[in-house]
Amino acid sequence: MMAEEFEPKIVAFLCKWCSSAGSDLAGVSRMEYPPNVVPITVMCSGSVSPLYILSAFNKGADGVLVSGCHPGDCHYIKGNYYARRRIALVKELLEFIGLEPERFQMSWVSAAEGLKYTQIIKNFVQSLKPLGPQTKLRRNP
Amino acid sequence: MVNIEDLRNNAKKLLEDGKVKYIIGFKKAANGLRPVPVFIDKPEDAAKLIWDPLCIHNLTRFLVDEKRRKARQKEPDLRPVGLVVKGCDSRAVNVLLQEKFIDRADIHIIGVSCENTGVVDEKKLAEKLKEKTVEKIEFGDNDEFVVTTDKGKIKVASSEILADRCLECPAHVAVVYDVLIGDHTKRKLDDSYKSLDKMESLTREERWAFWKEQLEKCIRCYACRSACPMCYCDECVVDTITFAVTADTTAEEKAQKIKWIEKSPVLSENFIYHFIRAIHLAGRCIDCGECERACPLDIPLRFLNKKLEKEAKKLFGYDAGFDPEAPSLVSCFKEEDPEDFIR
Amino acid sequence: MEKILNKKNLPRWIKGLKAFQVYAPSRDGDIWNYALIENPEDITLDYTSTVLSPKTIVFPQREILLKFGTSNDGELEITETLPQQDPSVIFGVRPCDAKAVFLMDKVFGGDFVDPYYWNRRDQIILVGLTCNTPPSPNCFCLSVDGSPHSKDGLDILMTDLGDRYFMESLTEKGDELFNLGKKLFEKPTAKDIKELAKIQADSEKNLKRQIKNIKKIPSLLKDMFESSYWDEASMSCLRCGICTYLCPTCHCFDMNDEVAVTSPIKGQRVRTWDTCQFPDFTMHSSGHNPRPDKASRLRQRVFHKFYYFPERYKNFQCIGCGRCISKCPVGIDIIQVLDGVSDHGA
Repeated sequence: MMAEEFEPKIVAFLCKWCSSAGSDLAGVSRMEYPPNVVPITVMCSGSVSPLYILSAFNKGADGVLVSGCHPGDCHYIKGNYYARRRIALVKELLEFIGLEPERFQMSWVSAAEGLKYTQIIKNFVQSLKPLGPQTKLRRNP
Repeated sequence: MVNIEDLRNNAKKLLEDGKVKYIIGFKKAANGLRPVPVFIDKPEDAAKLIWDPLCIHNLTRFLVDEKRRKARQKEPDLRPVGLVVKGCDSRAVNVLLQEKFIDRADIHIIGVSCENTGVVDEKKLAEKLKEKTVEKIEFGDNDEFVVTTDKGKIKVASSEILADRCLECPAHVAVVYDVLIGDHTKRKLDDSYKSLDKMESLTREERWAFWKEQLEKCIRCYACRSACPMCYCDECVVDTITFAVTADTTAEEKAQKIKWIEKSPVLSENFIYHFIRAIHLAGRCIDCGECERACPLDIPLRFLNKKLEKEAKKLFGYDAGFDPEAPSLVSCFKEEDPEDFIR
Repeated sequence: MEKILNKKNLPRWIKGLKAFQVYAPSRDGDIWNYALIENPEDITLDYTSTVLSPKTIVFPQREILLKFGTSNDGELEITETLPQQDPSVIFGVRPCDAKAVFLMDKVFGGDFVDPYYWNRRDQIILVGLTCNTPPSPNCFCLSVDGSPHSKDGLDILMTDLGDRYFMESLTEKGDELFNLGKKLFEKPTAKDIKELAKIQADSEKNLKRQIKNIKKIPSLLKDMFESSYWDEASMSCLRCGICTYLCPTCHCFDMNDEVAVTSPIKGQRVRTWDTCQFPDFTMHSSGHNPRPDKASRLRQRVFHKFYYFPERYKNFQCIGCGRCISKCPVGIDIIQVLDGVSDHGA
């Protein structure tokens, strides 16, 4: 009887206009990619508060992804620039306190980049599997 | 050299002329070595003001109380409040001005010089002068402190007992003021972030073990938050659940009242509290060290904020608290902000 | 029972207490706090005072009261979770901290007996240590009807006589601990008894601080509810909560439901320490807050300790440990606040 392989759970904050659309494109094009993602559509990557990311880890996410439009393409003109700055700070602090840097990622995925989205998820799942479940920030009942 | 009479006379005149409602400064404690904050509204009380290397507090915090007090009064006295500030404290004033939390006209800033040194770390002092009882500390010449003990006066090199943050301080003199008491001194600063070196040289798992041990101690007394001038939110994001939901609360407001963390002081919740506080202070924290000093369990909170201060400088070229006209760190961006971490 | 224990036999006595969990003051960096002792050789009673009092063991900051959930059929299931406290001994308890436990016993054992409190309390034995010299420059236990060698709340009182401890057993539980170390104890000599009396008398003289007119304070406070004195006294208060969290007698608590899973519901009801110094402590669900400012909250703390509690329980609720004075970030000093009350009422 084979032991159950660890399947990491990824929470992905996807901006509605680009990344979420990109993930939809992957879906309608029947591209295959691991089912480990819990996608959450947000209006803009700039609206992702650091609390969403921390809360995801607190509730037990093994990995968190924030994905938005490429710089210059933001539906709200500047939202992704603010996100870029804010997420950089969150990433630095998470690594500083000792969380594995592989667990938190940010990407630019446009509405046309269905394939890129699948690759990001595939790579993310591959890099998380050897790390095992996230226990450091997880709330224990 | 700061002439204490200059400070006192200045304060006295301000009060005599009725230019300020009251002045927030330091006075000798009736009990214990460390001075305490004092609120002076009578000219004759200006004689109580003191200035010495033990004036650790960041009095800027009391501007938040003043604003709340004014909001509660029906006919508030609109005169400015006088505030005695060190270099670091004045940067906090700048941040509050930057965020339009207060008006420049609401404060009369009395800057004092740290005489090229800074404030004393009481633990280092106790360690240095083990068997002696300290009665008084004064600024001396040649980067020294003159310590009066029960066994006579001793000169101590400031670098031996200065607070860690003073060793990295970029603002020995108030950067914004209406009047400056003391000289414009400039201390040579080699490395603004030296205190982070040891922590950054640890492996990731060592750092995790360190923070786990420290934050398990946290009892969530929120002294760190209460002591910080920049934590002025009426409803802190970790407290939203405790605020009232009435018949008038709209659905949107209710949706905002999300319980992000539990009240229980367990590690996972403590982490989120300290982490989000550090993030909310990114580009705003000016390293007055009050959070760490207030903590009853000696948790080294400064490091979290210092790390983000370093990143703000390194990644975005941002310095907090020098320019009240500058936008805040996270409400601006540059085209060339780094994005090498983005896939 | 009275015994003498040579200091070098202390670890052996502790080794003999195998049936108990042993807590003692333990150093963490620059501060002392109670911790479980794994190795009896590590125990030291050579300390000043702990930051957090034995309250953390007797009345922990977090207590799960019950667990709830819905079964698959949608039936609500509630499970009471009374704490399982292993028999425990706390060494090195300062008499003031023990008195605090004695006072909390009155609160949690009064008209309504709190089973969560007593499930723990009944299993805990307190072994005190006389304060030959005041552990803190801010000690003032004598002013609040306490003393450096008070016996209230203790099962055993130890007094350091230099190379040995004078041990006084005050309860049956204390006698039980003595029996577990019989061979290690000696009978006190007349010299020992004389030395004990001297040390205990001297310990009272060493206290540096006191509240003036303490006997008049409750009645003075009664007339000061509306006074503007509280505005001045609370000007520099940061409303941080340190005074109440470190206070050995403060016991106000909050209750929250922590829901782990929402469908089907699974969660627990948790009791945690709370503080009257937080602005939302008295926030009503209507939005009204009867203590909206720092003045009213400082007043509340002083009134509770020096007027309401004495009126109800015939004891001051303050035990004079001085923690709130030593750790207040802005130097608010309860003795000075009360001296101000005396002056105000004079």
